[in-house]
Amino acid sequence: MNHGHGHGPRSIDRLAYQSGMGGWNPVFKTTLAVGTLVLCLAADRPAVSVAVIVALAALQKGKGGLPLQDYLGLLLVPLTFLLLGGVAVACDVSAAPAGDWNLPLPWFYLCASADSIRFAAALVLKALGAVSAMYLLALTTTACELVDVLRRAHLPPLLCELMYLIYRFVFVLLDMYGRMRQAAGARLGWRDFRSSCRSFGGTAGNLLVLALRRSRVYADAMTARGYDGDLRFLEEEKPVYGRQIAGMLLFWGILLALAI
Amino acid sequence: MQPILQAQNLRFCYDSGAPALDGVSLDVHAGERIAVLGPNGAGKSTFFLCLNGVLTPESGQIVLQGKPVDKKMRKTLCERVGIVFQNADDQIIASTVAAEVSFGPMNLRLPRQEVARRVDHALDYMDLQAFRARPPHDLSGGEKKRVSIADILAMESEIILLDEPAASLDPVGEERLERVLARLSDEGRTLLISTHDMDFAFRWATRAVVFSAGRILADGTPQTVLANQAVLRQAHLRRPMLLEVWDALRARELVPQDAPCPRTPEELTRLLDHQRDSGNTASFSKHDLRVNYAVLP
Amino acid sequence: MTQKQRKLVRLTACAALLCGVVPTAGAMHIMEGFLPPSMCILWGVIALPFLLAGYFSLKKTVARDRRAVTLVAMAGAFIFVISPLKIPSVTGSCSHMTGTGLGAMLFGPAAVSILGVIVLLFQAILLAHGGLTTLGANTFSMSVVGPFVAFGIYRLCLRCKVNKKASVFLAAALGDLLTYCVTSVQLAVAYPSATGGVSGSVLEFLGVFAPTQLPLAVLEGVLTVIIMMALEAYAQPELRAVGFEEANA
Repeated sequence: MNHGHGHGPRSIDRLAYQSGMGGWNPVFKTTLAVGTLVLCLAADRPAVSVAVIVALAALQKGKGGLPLQDYLGLLLVPLTFLLLGGVAVACDVSAAPAGDWNLPLPWFYLCASADSIRFAAALVLKALGAVSAMYLLALTTTACELVDVLRRAHLPPLLCELMYLIYRFVFVLLDMYGRMRQAAGARLGWRDFRSSCRSFGGTAGNLLVLALRRSRVYADAMTARGYDGDLRFLEEEKPVYGRQIAGMLLFWGILLALAI
Repeated sequence: MQPILQAQNLRFCYDSGAPALDGVSLDVHAGERIAVLGPNGAGKSTFFLCLNGVLTPESGQIVLQGKPVDKKMRKTLCERVGIVFQNADDQIIASTVAAEVSFGPMNLRLPRQEVARRVDHALDYMDLQAFRARPPHDLSGGEKKRVSIADILAMESEIILLDEPAASLDPVGEERLERVLARLSDEGRTLLISTHDMDFAFRWATRAVVFSAGRILADGTPQTVLANQAVLRQAHLRRPMLLEVWDALRARELVPQDAPCPRTPEELTRLLDHQRDSGNTASFSKHDLRVNYAVLP
Repeated sequence: MTQKQRKLVRLTACAALLCGVVPTAGAMHIMEGFLPPSMCILWGVIALPFLLAGYFSLKKTVARDRRAVTLVAMAGAFIFVISPLKIPSVTGSCSHMTGTGLGAMLFGPAAVSILGVIVLLFQAILLAHGGLTTLGANTFSMSVVGPFVAFGIYRLCLRCKVNKKASVFLAAALGDLLTYCVTSVQLAVAYPSATGGVSGSVLEFLGVFAPTQLPLAVLEGVLTVIIMMALEAYAQPELRAVGFEEANA
């Protein structure tokens, strides 16, 4: 089963930079994604969930240029939790047989009823719908644009600054760790469980030390260019079009109609 | 002519207690090309950071165009003196190339249009327009280096300090860098480059300053400084290859004793051709040349 | 087949099902859309005071030294990076650390609460781990309870003069375990069992995630100890810079 290990932080990030919807106004994309997410959750109807899943998949393929196969693979990333959680919600443990189906186990019965299974199925659909909405944001908007949207929403500047820097530093650290892991591998550091533990601890510790030292150099480099506590970059102006807003309202209208 | 930037008796200690700068004084004049030489740990990087205002020396001062730099002038110093860090990755903090290059001008609180103009100019200068919207972690080492230089260009500093700029570049990158340096020099900017590449320092610099253990050991033209055996020994520096070749030629009286050493292999070739063509006693004969080449392995 | 054999078959079938369905053990982020809106808001509200405390603490740190912002950001980046890294696993399936216990012991739980919520946001956006609506719930379990518990246990053990390695291990492992328990409670409150109510549901969720979370807590404890020891050996000045040594004293 695919846990999605092919999808490290770089892959979704890269898709965001390459998305066909990258030129859309980020505030608009955020509004559309978050609004759809809230609607899907609040409506709590399988019809709405399915509509969201299908519509957003079409949007990703049509406007975003994302191949359907890749998109489906991405949707299945939270599969493990979905299955475990779904099973736990659908089934019940009880001392005596109850519900429509029972599985006798050593100390208790695992039971499920048609209702609970229906409920779990609706939950799974709702979660997938929500994930689709979240992906609408994640796959089309770069993290820095997202931080910019939050800044405009009056999130405190310190938090925006931290988010911006953390995003950049994550990739710096990933690069460093990749090289360290290779170096350890070249000396058989990952051959068995015991040496793996030792190697992991050593490289992770080393990574933190280097990271902390590096942070001082970054502080110097930022000061060297006149940084005085207010992190600012030039943002590109991306226009919103009337037809985009109209489309969004129409879509939400349909969802609301399905919900009632 | 009044120096554009002066360091006067700078002293600086890191937390560990070891003095990184121990009474360093230097006058920098407009348009100079200064090679800053010395072993690792001699204080070159610390010196650069003090010149730009990032580090505050414990004693001594920086004087910018005749005015001593105090806290209020720190921002002006940052603007007029730019540093390109050795490791481009240490300098890049933004998520796209265009945003990164805009960081400096935005900190100067310039109007939006001016920032956009400077960013465009810097990206054109370094041939980076195609990479505007790319994230830095997607770039190669050489491309990141160009971005780090574009960063400083956008601040339109008159004095640019480069800390071992060719350290991680391939030959293509090095060539491109030298073209950029030549262009910057032609525009009248003052450049200070710290380097371990003696041959580069010898051919490019108008002035060589040698650091050792937090002090300036020697300060003069590359020909004089790099021919001084005592200085080279103390600062653990290698002689430029051309100087070695020139000394060998001089010792065999194949070139005039008092002529200055040529700065590039091309200059040497021209000199030798000139000698041969002018029938100079210290010239090769065609026969000797052939014999010599036959002897070469 | 005899009764015994049938029981055995059922038992092995269950075990196989569990191992098959659970090829990976992740830290327990509640995925996007899994909680009803009321719960999302509720947990967000509960987490808010801790986040505010963390924000003001960070603000003070940065006000004291403007340059500390890169240090704090590096800490956050480290916590993020440590989580998707594949840690060694006995079964060969992949597992992930949370890193918030380590973060709490090094940088203090207040700072980690804010860094944690940023990390959770990026995990949702970059890794599809967790979600935007479940940010409140995940923040409470992983950025508030986990770090505070880990920090508290660490200081308590040190005060009782317990061996350093054991303190670190207990703090990290118990912090992890408590995160998992809180997440189970959050899920149970949202989806109470038909027969057992909330308490029955808590047991169900605890049970479903136990096979992965229990070994993970132990592993996280062990790895945190190894990392801490490596830091103590090589990074005294850096640790002092973040105030770790003082916090330790």
